[in-house]
Amino acid sequence: MNQNFLEKLSECVEFGKINLASPYPPQMKGFPGADEITKEALEAGVTPTEILNEALITAMNKVGQKFSENKIFVPQMLLSAKAMGASMIHLKPFFANGTVQRKGTFILGTVYGDLHDIGKNLFGMMVEGAGWEVIDLGIDVKIEKFLEAIEQNPTAVVGISALLTTTMVNMKPVIDAIKSVSPDTKVIVGGAPLSVEFAQSIGADGYGKNPQEGIMWLDKIVA
Amino acid sequence: MNKFINQILQGSNVEALPIMTHPGIEAIGKSVREAVSDGNIQYQAIQYLHDHFKTVACTSIMDLTVEAEAFGATVNLPENEIPSVTGRLVCDEESVKNLVVPSLEKGRVPQYLLANQLAAANITDKPVFSGCIGPFSLAGRLYDMSEIMVGIYIEPESIQLLLSKCTEFLVAYCKALKASGTQGVIVAEPAAGLLSGEDCMTYSTFYVKQIVDAVQDDSFTVILHNCGNTGQCTDAMVATGANALHFGNAIDMEGVLKQCPSDVVVLGNLNPVGVFKQGTVESVREETLQLLQKTAGYKNFVISSGCDLPPNVPEANIRAFLETVEMFNI
Repeated sequence: MNQNFLEKLSECVEFGKINLASPYPPQMKGFPGADEITKEALEAGVTPTEILNEALITAMNKVGQKFSENKIFVPQMLLSAKAMGASMIHLKPFFANGTVQRKGTFILGTVYGDLHDIGKNLFGMMVEGAGWEVIDLGIDVKIEKFLEAIEQNPTAVVGISALLTTTMVNMKPVIDAIKSVSPDTKVIVGGAPLSVEFAQSIGADGYGKNPQEGIMWLDKIVA
Repeated sequence: MNKFINQILQGSNVEALPIMTHPGIEAIGKSVREAVSDGNIQYQAIQYLHDHFKTVACTSIMDLTVEAEAFGATVNLPENEIPSVTGRLVCDEESVKNLVVPSLEKGRVPQYLLANQLAAANITDKPVFSGCIGPFSLAGRLYDMSEIMVGIYIEPESIQLLLSKCTEFLVAYCKALKASGTQGVIVAEPAAGLLSGEDCMTYSTFYVKQIVDAVQDDSFTVILHNCGNTGQCTDAMVATGANALHFGNAIDMEGVLKQCPSDVVVLGNLNPVGVFKQGTVESVREETLQLLQKTAGYKNFVISSGCDLPPNVPEANIRAFLETVEMFNI
């Protein structure tokens, strides 16, 4: 019975079926989505940990893999992330009361001067789906805002995103400031104009060429 | 056959066309904000590049906000950074229905038309290519880029209506650019590169083709730029009927040349950041030569940057690029 719920939920997330009302994907139109199935599963006694580990994380792993192999593209990935988000809403109380343990906390933001968020959003949703708590600071995030978030979450890992060549240079001052107040805080950077060489040159601990690579790096540092 | 396409296909040399305006803006001592707001200044930047660099054509600024601003979107115009759209202008079926297709008098459009008119009138020894955003990329700036990605599956009718309105405006804008006297337009459609090939065909090609059909002829070329494409959208780009296709650095140029018809001019794709901005004169020479060697034998190839050169590219790197092409042709 539980396995049935988990398989159905995993399928909803993998193929981006958010809820009953959503017309996507066409072959699942008119069927319950991640929202309804999660609710039913919890009522039927499936544990939140089982839902997270055996449905959501498994499905998002498949999604990330398909994306990195160019089998799916940004829209499909965002729909999967939205489906996962619809499920996650029902799990929030269990995270809050400690019933379910996350892998860690990830503070995320687009660097100051940069207003782009599609890459940041995509990565944030994928990281959440990989079992992390994500604190999204938004776009155009100033140094002080990153430092404030680290102060409140001292064990968190930090992710900084940039889309523009003019703003990627703002990442170094952010990393310098973070390392000066919290030398043990790990920082990962990502964004279209970046490269591994650039990430190393500005003192980042990690670089994600795509979401899957970033998640693998995050999982490695908590392994 | 189109004059520019014929020139490339019949020529014996590989031609170079880096997409650039920022080096010109910097050289004449103006800010990005001044150049994107004042047609005279933008023209002076284009003229400077024409006078100082041997390229096959001149290009205007790839500013992907001017059209969204005409629709009413709020635009952030930093002093020396590329402008960007902030917020979301439309969010659902009703707001899309109520969206009015603007006239060409709105926002900075008249300044862009002026820049193109001045460039076309004063640069007569080589083609001048105007620039505009593509329909899907414009719709994404009005609807929010993340939301439109999901919207094509959740609210396809609203997105198609929005795309029709964007296309109506872009057709009028491209007709006005053509009337300004330029020899073509680079239609920048980077957001479509985030879609699958099938979705690119439905949500970009169908609309870009309307622009191509409205303005492309023997004297006016449409160059479709899609730097987001990693290979899945190439057939959809070809299907637009554009005379020329411009590719970003994420793609294998040799593979693209094999895939595209030989009468379509194919341009690309040196990394504007990794090679032009962050590279050294030596690394620029090396990367340029490698690309020229890989693509040798394709008469429809024009070597270019994979996208608009960003601000603060060393002039020495642009010279190294052009000199390498010149040496290769000897």
